[in-house]
Parts: sequence; structure tokens; C-alpha cells
Amino acid sequence: MTAQRITRQGLLDWLNGVAAKATLIAPVRVEGIYLFRPIVKIEDIALDYSQSTVPPKEWLFPRSDTLFTIERLDRAYELKPPAAAGPRVLFGIRPCDARALAILDRLFLAEPADNLYEERRQNTVLVGLACARQQLPECFCTSLGGGPQEAANVDVLLAGAGEAYTVTVATEKGQQLLSGATLRDGGEMPPAPSLSNQVPTAGMAERLRLAFNSSYWQRLADRCLGCKMCTYLCPTCHCFDIRDCDVGGHAERVRCWDGCQSALFTKLAGGHNPRASKAARLRQFYAHKYLYFPERFGVTQCVGCGRCAHFCPVNIDIRETLRDLQTLEVCPHGSGETARRREPVGAAFGDSRASA
Amino acid sequence: MSDLVTGIRAQVRDLLARRRVEYVVGYETGSDGVNARPFFAYTTEEADRLVFDNTCTHNLTKYLVEPERRGSTIGVVVKPCDARSLTVLLAEHKFPRDVVAIGVVCPGIVQRTREGGDGEAPQARCQVCDQHTPPACDILVGEATAEGPVLDQFARLAPLEAQSAAERSAFWSQQFERCLRCYACRQTCPQCYCDECFAEALDPEWVGVRIGRAENWLFHAIRCFHLAGRCIGCDECERVCPVKIPLGLLNRKLRKEVLDRFEYRAGTRSDERPPLETFRKEEKLDLA
Amino acid sequence: MAQSTADTPRTRAGQVEPTAIWQPRLVGFLCNWCSFAGADMAGTSRLTYPAAIRIIRVPCTGRVDPLFVAKAFQRGADGVLVAGCHPGDCHYAEGNYYMRRRYVLLRDLLEFLGIERERFHLEWVSASEGKKFARVVSEFTSQVAALGPREPPRQGPTELEAGTSNE
Repeated sequence: MTAQRITRQGLLDWLNGVAAKATLIAPVRVEGIYLFRPIVKIEDIALDYSQSTVPPKEWLFPRSDTLFTIERLDRAYELKPPAAAGPRVLFGIRPCDARALAILDRLFLAEPADNLYEERRQNTVLVGLACARQQLPECFCTSLGGGPQEAANVDVLLAGAGEAYTVTVATEKGQQLLSGATLRDGGEMPPAPSLSNQVPTAGMAERLRLAFNSSYWQRLADRCLGCKMCTYLCPTCHCFDIRDCDVGGHAERVRCWDGCQSALFTKLAGGHNPRASKAARLRQFYAHKYLYFPERFGVTQCVGCGRCAHFCPVNIDIRETLRDLQTLEVCPHGSGETARRREPVGAAFGDSRASA
Repeated sequence: MSDLVTGIRAQVRDLLARRRVEYVVGYETGSDGVNARPFFAYTTEEADRLVFDNTCTHNLTKYLVEPERRGSTIGVVVKPCDARSLTVLLAEHKFPRDVVAIGVVCPGIVQRTREGGDGEAPQARCQVCDQHTPPACDILVGEATAEGPVLDQFARLAPLEAQSAAERSAFWSQQFERCLRCYACRQTCPQCYCDECFAEALDPEWVGVRIGRAENWLFHAIRCFHLAGRCIGCDECERVCPVKIPLGLLNRKLRKEVLDRFEYRAGTRSDERPPLETFRKEEKLDLA
Repeated sequence: MAQSTADTPRTRAGQVEPTAIWQPRLVGFLCNWCSFAGADMAGTSRLTYPAAIRIIRVPCTGRVDPLFVAKAFQRGADGVLVAGCHPGDCHYAEGNYYMRRRYVLLRDLLEFLGIERERFHLEWVSASEGKKFARVVSEFTSQVAALGPREPPRQGPTELEAGTSNE
């Protein structure tokens, strides 16, 4: 790993060169929010963006993904694979979102690998942009082992703002991408920003197991609206639905995002729904991230980007839930808890509200 | 503590102590210590967590129509606009009249941007609000105030209405392209309560699962039309949209046409049928 | 919706081939008791009207869910006609009165979404009015033809998914 410098102008020139050879995808400002979009004009890139509303996972695991198309021939059917993914450069990805892709890799690249994801992943170079400040008031990456300047999950990491950036080359792929850039030696990492949120995440799997039957979930789910925003804006959520669509003249098998917060997500054909209540569905959101996924893949399926807390229309705040779970009194056998049935959620935030 | 908060807490304590209701849906201060969020008070002690201020944006009547709450007697804190929702729901017989509505005189709600900067300007709906005292409620908290001059609540539509059809089509196509179909707009709307939403019906599959332009267009066109003559204008659908689709424009357009054509404003009178549920034989509508 | 390619010289993406004579693609929702019988009358009377319209029979105009109309437009219809019994003549007494109100509001909304009001039409045609039916369809066809083809919301993958933008 070597550190070098690049000027702002040098960066834009280099990106122009990159865009000529690959699809350049970077954060742009749309109606007051930031989204990762293919870049037509380099000036459109929001270099000082805070955080994209929709995580960049949508470029590897798109909201709708055509698995194959079905054409009707004279007396037969023909299945056609989707067009191959071309080379792409995902520029400006935040360290937490890059970490999220590494988590998705564990799932999608585990044998048997998902070929569409794999193809896109192999054809994508990640250029990270370190955080010079706390990007969302709710983000807490350091509590999960990440950091605002983490270079582990990208090919190249840029840090800095304004007129000059420090360039850290993390992989061979990154080195190749940088071949046309005007780099100067002697880059120095700017000081890391101080992040205010520290959330206790240790031992969460065990806490969740104990709290499985807790009435805490009912109280939390009281205000949940049951939309799928938290799952769709989560950089690590990866559930999907597969169906055949008639597109007029031909059909397509399509894989689309789906989310566990919808009542229909687990509803069976006979009408039974194993996760029939909002409480069970909300519990699933946390348990998948901090209990089931770690059990299977060895890592927590959360990077602390803070999006779910930031965008939730009714302020269901993952930081608060994790703190509550640490202090929740639960029955050791997980068979339900009666003593504190009516205890309101958010107790861990202390006295700031109760006696305002 | 404001008089409104003291008043709400006292009323809720009383309702819970008398077991008039099982619980009360109100507001408490959220995790940032500033903005309010919905809160369900089950005990008299919990009533002391309730707050009311200019961040209480949610329309809490949404919770009353959730299937799992059927059969419960619930208290609910309503702003004047939320009270209109309640009137619509009662007229549609969504639940028996054993909801206790605690109406609060509303100071207007502020717009908060998601970027962290605190704009303190009133929300668009509050800028043109002509009803600061809840019209129909069981308990009123706060002093009824005189209403200010009525502003044109449809001014926001003019720029789009002035465009050509092709321009408008392109505008909406761009907006709907961002839609993720997280259904937050639907889930937050008190007037959206179908057991099975057309958007997720499988037989026939009207909308389709693909999260794409054509499907999003159909979803938004019909979501909006299902609110024709029923939308009370709380604009919560627009507030919750993570990708900032101006859904309030669509609802506002239909509110305007309903007002112009049928002189009807949803939620203001409980003795009048919604415009699409009734007709007058002799009425002249410009069909041509 | 049945899709015949014989008289709709479009590519699947909705573009019109410049050499062919473009004809609009129309969907007609006809009430079983009046207008569908009226269309029948037009047929048995050997009246001619443009073949651009695909007819869907419904029990009553009151049955026409806005979803049907929006779906037709979503799938590329250039115009939608709803026709039923004259006011006062509804087989179910009042279905068409409901449709009348629904129609004006739906037209307002569709217009706001960018579908010209001339593309969506409501007409009263009785069982005996075969001539009127033929005239209504002819006029509606030329009215929509004058507007030209619509650019329906594009089906299938967007460039967001395909990732081959840089257009």
C-alpha cells in the first residue's frame, strides 16, 4: 500500500479518462438527495457529498435484475441470458458501503456463486472516498470495526477534500485503474474525523437469542409502519423475490428486491404467515443482521451506515434498539418475559425525554 | 413544558386511569432529542412521556386502521388535519365510534430537511392551512384560535399545469424512475388500508414485481386515484419518501379538482358522502 | 391485452417505423347491455369503422376500475374509450352515474400525469345506436391519430439496471 497525492483537477482529468473506457458510476445530486448514477459529465459528480440515499449495492444487486428472457419461437421457446455487464468503475463509495459489499460477497459468492453478481463484481473497480466528517447523524461504523478511512474493501481510496486528495492504492486492480493518473508522491492521510456515536454491539447475538420472545418487539413494532424502506436503503440487505413477467411479446424471469418488513414477504400460498405480526418482522430485521447472518457467515450483517435510522419515518433507530437490547431484562430461557411487559422502548436513552 | 403538553398528559392520564381506553397513541421525543415520534402510552406513568410541539408531523390515525388493532378502544392525539382523516375513516366505517380523539390546537409543523440542517420554515401544508383547531374531536386541548386568511393551497400546482402533456409526462417519468416501491407512502397513509393492495395482488398481477418505470407509474397513478375525494392533505406520503418524489402534487391535484367540481373537501363534514361514492342525476360534468 | 402485430407497425420499444402508416392502438371498454350491443348492431348493419380499437366487454361502465384504464395506458394504448348506457338507462340503474364522476377525475389525473385529455373518452351509446357507435369510434380514432403515438412508460430494464448508460 502506497500513499500518493492527486490534485482536484488531476482527479477530474483522470476520471474523464476512466469514463472513456468504462461506465463511471458516482454520486450525483438529484432533487436534494445523492444517488449513484452513471456519469455523463464529470462535473456532475458530487465530490463533497455526504451519503447516498440508496446505497451503491444497487449497481451489483440491482432493484430488478433480469435473469433471462423467454422468447417464443414457432414451436419452441428460447431462453436468452441477459446482456453481459461491461466494465464499471464505482467512484466515491464510502468505506461503510464498501464494507457492505464485502459482506454481500460472502453470501452471493459462496458456492454456488450467483453468476450475475459475480460477473458484475469482477467487472467493477471500487474507488472509495474516505469520510472527512460524520456523514449522517446516525452513522456508527466504528462500533462495528469499520472506520471513516478504511481502505480494506476498495481498490483505491481517496481521502481529503477541496484541492487535493491522498490516494491509497489497495489492490492490483486499483493500481491498473490509476495508470493514467498524474500522481505525486508524499500523500499524507488527513486526520480522521471524530465520530460521535458509540453503540454497544458486542454479544448482540446472545442478547437477541434471549430476547426472542420479549414483548420489547411488540412495543417497538407499535409505531412501525411496515414499509420496506429500512431494508431497501440498507447496504447489506439482500432479500429478493423471483417471478416471471410478461413484458409484451416475450417474458422475463426477474429477480427484484423484497424486504422482510412486508407482511407478504413470508405469507404462504395457503394463507398462513409464519411472521404474522409487525413485531415478528421487526425482530427478524435485527436478528438477521446480528444473529443469523453472523452464525452462518461469521460477520455481522450491518456496517453502521445509519440509513435505516436516518430515513425511518417513525424514528425506529437501530442505535437505540441495540442499546435497549443490552439492558433489556429477559427470561434466561427465552420463553417470554412478563415482569417488564409494559416497559417503553428507548429506556437506554435515559432521562432526556421522560420528564421534559 | 407547554400548556398543550400538560393538557394532553392530564387528559391521557385520566383516560387510562378510568380505563376508558386501552392505550393512547400520541407523540414522544425521538432519539435525536428534538424531533417527535409516535408513542403508545399504556399506563398513566407512560402518559408523562407524551409531548406536543411543532415537530409532531405524523398522522397517528394511521395506526387505528391496522388490522391487529381491530376491536381495541384506542385514544389518539390528533392535529386538525389528522382529525379530518378520522372523519373520513369514521364515515367509511373503518371502526366503531369507540376511538377517543384528543384534538390539539396546532401551531403548524416545521419542515426538517434530511441533510441535518434544521429548516424551521413551516411545512407546505401548514403554510396554507386554514384549520388550526380540530373540527371534530372528543376532547380539545388548547384554546381555539381564530383562523387566518385562506391562502391558495393549490398554487404549487400551477407551474406543472402550465406545461405541455409531453413535458409533464417526462417530468413524472423522471420522478417515478427513482421510486424503489418501498411502499412507505402507502404505509404511512391513514386512508390506505386495503387488506390486499392492488399493487401486490397476484391474481391478476396488475402492477408486476419489477421495480421499474412502467410498474412505478401504474402504482403511483392508482395509489393517488384511490385517494380521490379522500385525501385530507397531510402530505405524509411526500415527507416519508426517501427519494423525494413530490407525491403531494398528485394528491393536491385531485383535491383541487374534487373541490372545483364537487365542492367537496375530505374530512370536513361527516354527513356528506365522498364524491366518488355518490352522484347527482342532473349534474353537468364536462364530458366532452 | 391481446397484441396483434398485423396492424400495429411498431417495434416492441414503441417506436413507430417511419415507412408504415401509423394507426393508433385503442382500447374500448363497452358495457354489455348498451354499447356492446350497439357495436354488434354496427356490425350486423355492415357499418365500417376503424379497426384500431380492441373491445373489452364489461357488465357495466360502473365496473370500469380506473386500474383498467391506467393499465391500458401503461401497456401502450394510445387511447381508451369507455362507452355505456345513456344516463337513466343503466341496466343496474345507476352504474353509469358513478362512472361519469370517476371519468372526469381520472381524466384530470391522467392529464396531470402527461396523457392528453383527448386520449380518454366517455360516450353513451345505446343498443340501437349502431350508427352512433361507428361514428364515435371513427371520430375518436382520428382524434387520437391527430395526437400521434404516445411514449408509454418504458417496459423492461431501465438503464439504471442495465448499467449501459453513457447515452
